[in-house]
Amino acid sequence: MAVAVTSGLPPAPAPARPRVLLVGTALVAGAWFMGIVGLVGFYLSARSNALASGGTWLPEGANLPLTPGNMAFATMLISAVSMWWAVDAVGKNDRQMAYLALALTIFFGIAVINATSFLYAQAALPVDTLAGTLIYTVTGAHLAMIIVGLVFAGVMTFRTLGGEYHGRDREGLTAAALFWYVTIAAHAVIWLAIYVTK
Amino acid sequence: MAVTETPPETATAAPEQAPVRARPQPTGFAAVLGSGDHKVIGRLYVATATLFGLVTLAVGEAFAIEGVQADTLDVFTAETVFQFFTFVRIAPVFLVALPLVIGVALVVAPLQVGARTAAFPRAAAASYWGWLMGSALLIAAYLMNGGPGGGSEAGVNLWIAALGVVVVSLLTAAVSLATTVLALRHTGLTLARVPMFAWSVAVASIMWLLTLPVLLGLLALMYVDHRHGGSSYGANDEIYARLLWVLRNPQIYTLAIPVLGFAADALATTARTRIAPRFAAQGAIAAFGVFGFGAFLAGTASDPQPYESWVVIAIGLAAVLPVLAILGLAGDLFRRGSFRLNAGVVYAVTSLILLLIGVAAGALGSFPTFETVGTVYDLGVTHAVVLASVIGSLGGLHWWATKVGRQPATEGLGMVAPLLLLLGSLAIVLPELASGLFGEDAEVRLDWTGGIEALNIVVAIGAAVLALGVITAIVSLLPLLRRSADTVAVDPWEGQTLEWLAPSPPPHDNFATELPVVTSAEPLVDQREEK
Repeated sequence: MAVAVTSGLPPAPAPARPRVLLVGTALVAGAWFMGIVGLVGFYLSARSNALASGGTWLPEGANLPLTPGNMAFATMLISAVSMWWAVDAVGKNDRQMAYLALALTIFFGIAVINATSFLYAQAALPVDTLAGTLIYTVTGAHLAMIIVGLVFAGVMTFRTLGGEYHGRDREGLTAAALFWYVTIAAHAVIWLAIYVTK
Repeated sequence: MAVTETPPETATAAPEQAPVRARPQPTGFAAVLGSGDHKVIGRLYVATATLFGLVTLAVGEAFAIEGVQADTLDVFTAETVFQFFTFVRIAPVFLVALPLVIGVALVVAPLQVGARTAAFPRAAAASYWGWLMGSALLIAAYLMNGGPGGGSEAGVNLWIAALGVVVVSLLTAAVSLATTVLALRHTGLTLARVPMFAWSVAVASIMWLLTLPVLLGLLALMYVDHRHGGSSYGANDEIYARLLWVLRNPQIYTLAIPVLGFAADALATTARTRIAPRFAAQGAIAAFGVFGFGAFLAGTASDPQPYESWVVIAIGLAAVLPVLAILGLAGDLFRRGSFRLNAGVVYAVTSLILLLIGVAAGALGSFPTFETVGTVYDLGVTHAVVLASVIGSLGGLHWWATKVGRQPATEGLGMVAPLLLLLGSLAIVLPELASGLFGEDAEVRLDWTGGIEALNIVVAIGAAVLALGVITAIVSLLPLLRRSADTVAVDPWEGQTLEWLAPSPPPHDNFATELPVVTSAEPLVDQREEK
């Protein structure tokens, strides 16, 4: 039986700070994206089957207005710019601009939630229909992603306020930004598959 | 104009360092409940999954006995048989095999990459407690007449939600594991040098993260639907049918990815030689992961048509190759190195053989000519892969016993257990495959009629042998719990990778000394060669 000895080689230098939070966030964001893409797949498959059998997709009286959907998506796209601005500002140690950009991003996120709620009210879509079940589940899953992204961005804002992140280390904020960009990508899929295609 | 500020932590001169006082470590029950130590969490996963495994085995044995004389033996009533059937299909994956793999991986993978802790240790702890709660709710849902086909609406809703909690929890553990391997590796340990088991855990975790969220989306959809009448997205009994893609090939293969990693590590160490070429072994494991991507078949319900597409046939055939590659690697290792018989080798070889049978049967069954979709044949393929995963996990526990527990496992019983497990598994799997080829339907009607009755006698005996094998394995692992004043060997197998530098059992921060810079995939072999 051999007992390993550690003195054969010199001790290693301290490893460079691993980007644990960034890697973990990428995995979570990727997983969430797959969940939403899967749901959109179920939506498209059910819609295709309904139309192929000669029926209509949206129940009578229901309507998915495009304007709130477009507004929500445009707001999400603008929030990508504000989030990029926040990360860039922290990289330059320009903390005031970073606070402003993060506050704007959070504001845009809340605006998207508001626009989606308005769309729900306008759609008059019963949940106990196939289209209703699918649309509420898909958009609900995305709203949950937006809320998580907002909380994440909010926490990172407070950490930046506390001085944890700065020009030399902005991993937390970059992670929040990554999650937010994936949220926007998921919104693009939903916008095209549900709001545009209907 | 930009206002530039100095970050607060650099604005003031660092005060003189106060002496750091180590916080007293909690002991007893508090040490378990509040622990973020990956080894404690891994052990909890292993212990609980083993307990669930025994329960599942008992229900499975009851099914096997009823199948011997389906007309006269009524172990299950007509009202409950479908619910019990779904339990023995779902539980082996989500309550036994997957958590067992995760448990072993949580203990071993951070040690293998030279990390002092797992990534996101609190999330890893939350994953265990969440999984435990979800599993308890899942069983509670069955007890209140819920589950697929259940009579209680609230029970069915609870079942869907509970399975969702289980999946979210397991995904949380997967994030912790994948991040540990990708971001917490020791200096010099590039991805190309990562030990095979850690590599396979990373591949498996990523595949679970890419596929199981689709299951989660499906569960959310079914929950919303069932909560509002259940008329839109399939009725109550459609729930199980829509989940079948997780239990079939190719998706079920993702469960067994770590088996390949464990086998490669254990066999290379036993043969006292290096794996060559490493990229081929890593590529085979990664390819097996890719071939296990089955999310595109999600929600297809009982329709066999998607399973008859050329993609599924191609994946089914291709999935055999990585398993053959690892078996070929095993042969090459023993040709170049030296052969020693130990329990680790027996576990590794038996789990690989069973996995090969599973993927070969999956390949055969993927041809539409045989019309196996929805028959007992599906059960056979699933059982082969799940049991290969369980045998591999038990092998991992035996191999890394001194890192998981306090003492080495019993070697003699450790060699008998995998043979019993293989024998029992074959006695279950082969009759099921044969029954399926003759077109025996797996769907449960008013009574359990799965499989040909004469062959079901073999299945019943196989389930008993399997139970004996599990008990033998548990007995062989009992020394892991025993306290002893004797010094436990740090490296009982002349290991090749970093986990064998950790004391046995490893302390809270895993390694007692500073680790050397890693310059190859086998740093301990380098050390021995330099002496």
